[in-house]
Amino acid sequence: MSLPHHLWLAEQLPAWEREGIVTADGARMLRERYAAEPQGGLAQMIVGAVGALLIGTGLVAVLAYNWDDFPRWVRLLLALGPLAASQAVSWWVLRQDEAAKPWQREAVALVQTLAAGAAMALVSQIYNLPGNWTDLVFWWCLVSVPLAWVLRSQAVAIVYLIGIAVWTVAQAGERASWSSPAEVADLRLWFPLLLAGILPLWPGPELRDRPASGSRLVLAAATLIGLIAVAVYASVCPREPIQALFWLAMLSTAAVLLFPLDRHGIAEPLTRKPQVLLGGLSLFVMALIATYEDPARQLVKGVGFALPLGWCWLLLAVIAGFATLAFRQGRSAVLAVAGLALVPLLVAPFWSPGDDGWPVAITYSLVLLATAIVLIALEFLGRQGAARIGAALITLLVILRMADADLSLLVKGLAFIVIGVGFLGFNIFISRRRSIPLGGSPA
Amino acid sequence: MRPALAVFVVAALTQWLLPLSGVWQHERVIARGVPVRIRCAAPDPYDPLRGRYLAVRPEETQVPKPEGMPEQGGVPVWATLEEGDDGLSRIKSLSLEPVSGQTVIRLVAGWQRWNQESATVFVEWPFDRFYLNERLAFDADALVAERLRAGERPVAEIRLLDGRAVLTDVLLDGVSIREIVKPPAQ
Repeated sequence: MSLPHHLWLAEQLPAWEREGIVTADGARMLRERYAAEPQGGLAQMIVGAVGALLIGTGLVAVLAYNWDDFPRWVRLLLALGPLAASQAVSWWVLRQDEAAKPWQREAVALVQTLAAGAAMALVSQIYNLPGNWTDLVFWWCLVSVPLAWVLRSQAVAIVYLIGIAVWTVAQAGERASWSSPAEVADLRLWFPLLLAGILPLWPGPELRDRPASGSRLVLAAATLIGLIAVAVYASVCPREPIQALFWLAMLSTAAVLLFPLDRHGIAEPLTRKPQVLLGGLSLFVMALIATYEDPARQLVKGVGFALPLGWCWLLLAVIAGFATLAFRQGRSAVLAVAGLALVPLLVAPFWSPGDDGWPVAITYSLVLLATAIVLIALEFLGRQGAARIGAALITLLVILRMADADLSLLVKGLAFIVIGVGFLGFNIFISRRRSIPLGGSPA
Repeated sequence: MRPALAVFVVAALTQWLLPLSGVWQHERVIARGVPVRIRCAAPDPYDPLRGRYLAVRPEETQVPKPEGMPEQGGVPVWATLEEGDDGLSRIKSLSLEPVSGQTVIRLVAGWQRWNQESATVFVEWPFDRFYLNERLAFDADALVAERLRAGERPVAEIRLLDGRAVLTDVLLDGVSIREIVKPPAQ
């Protein structure tokens, strides 16, 4: 069920209870299972955010006009004045406590965040301060994230998550750059710390607040991008090209994919679990790349470079912990997909640096095929699998291998038609099968 | 006071602390610092948060490696500047330890990663940009490019105090570039 259905159900339940259609216990269980968003929903956030953005943009445009003609103290006043005003309004809204509407909290939090960023950027501009704009983003994130906590602002949380991902990628890029003499922050420490900055909002002090759909997507994407940037940072060796990155990126993706969920989270559809969707798709793409000889060789070669790294062992430990939990919860589908990240580790003992990458590439093709079959079989076994994704994966594998094959264009064309028809037919079959109500177990 | 209000107060104070500490440090250098002029290049890039600026790049970016330079990037060093007959300052010496003097500037030095045997190190200056009004930036860029083709280099005017530097102006032929490109008063 999507969010509008949840909201509709939440509206109906009191009447159903009164009319005796459901018991109080039944209503409570339904509320828990199909919880409406506690933060006031996407519309509230958009209203607040658009209003705040308009005000912020207007302020910047007004200030920018004739900026150079103002003496320095006037420019400073104009830079810091909006911050003071926005803080005063935020204070007033915060004092309203529960009486403040969600859109009010969103709007004041975002305006104050923009005002703080503008003040820092303008002071930096007035004094011609050096440094990349991403450094400014880092400090902006640090001073803004408490507003997400205290005003329970999803918009500020989204700005924060995007900001820390941008800064982390910039730092990783700086680290990988051969021309830069600058020292960069140790991302293995900083990224997890910055990501933990969102914990007071999600799950919050009472461990029950969950991000809305859009925020979940940003959270999952920022985590994935940030962890891959940390993998870049950890892979850089002095005087050596980056070797361990491919495998570390796979491990990071598997960790995101396996992120533990509670009972309610597991029962949610895939569209409301972006960490599973993004993590799974990213792993499939990387595994498909590894079905080619050269990337497969680089991948398995990278295992030798990654294993001495502490970050690699930390990722393996996190994956082991998450996988154990997922196994206990019966999340077979995500376990099957996450297993793709461990293939290089299992293949590495049988591979020596002089060997070519074909055995690894063929192994990856077979493991991908097995994973696809598992995803389909789970659904037919009455568990929450991903039959369509499994079928798409098999189709992709066959297409890639057909494209490589030394066959005539006619044969390839006919094969593609047969594959396409088979894929469409399978989808129709799955759609009809799903329309019949079945009891499912969580996965 | 509720915890949320206390957290808000701390956050609000921090939002003031960062810009105000910058204001205090740089105002102090501007008010009490020694003026120094350094020859530089100044093309015209863009900062997504702060707008258009002239990228100020002092000519001296490679200097002899100081004794005992550690094998890592981003090492703080103290450079003593010396004014030449042309009124422009250049690096006279580089030290890994803080040194005192009115024309000492704190730089960051790093090895050339592709040539660790080199006798020189790269230095990063503590200023790299001079912000300009969006309306003036294109004219300023064109002017600088034209003067560069004619063999004339812009000059960065900085103020130095206790090793800290603030870029106060970029000059062409001794005149502020802002003054040169400013449209005449109606």
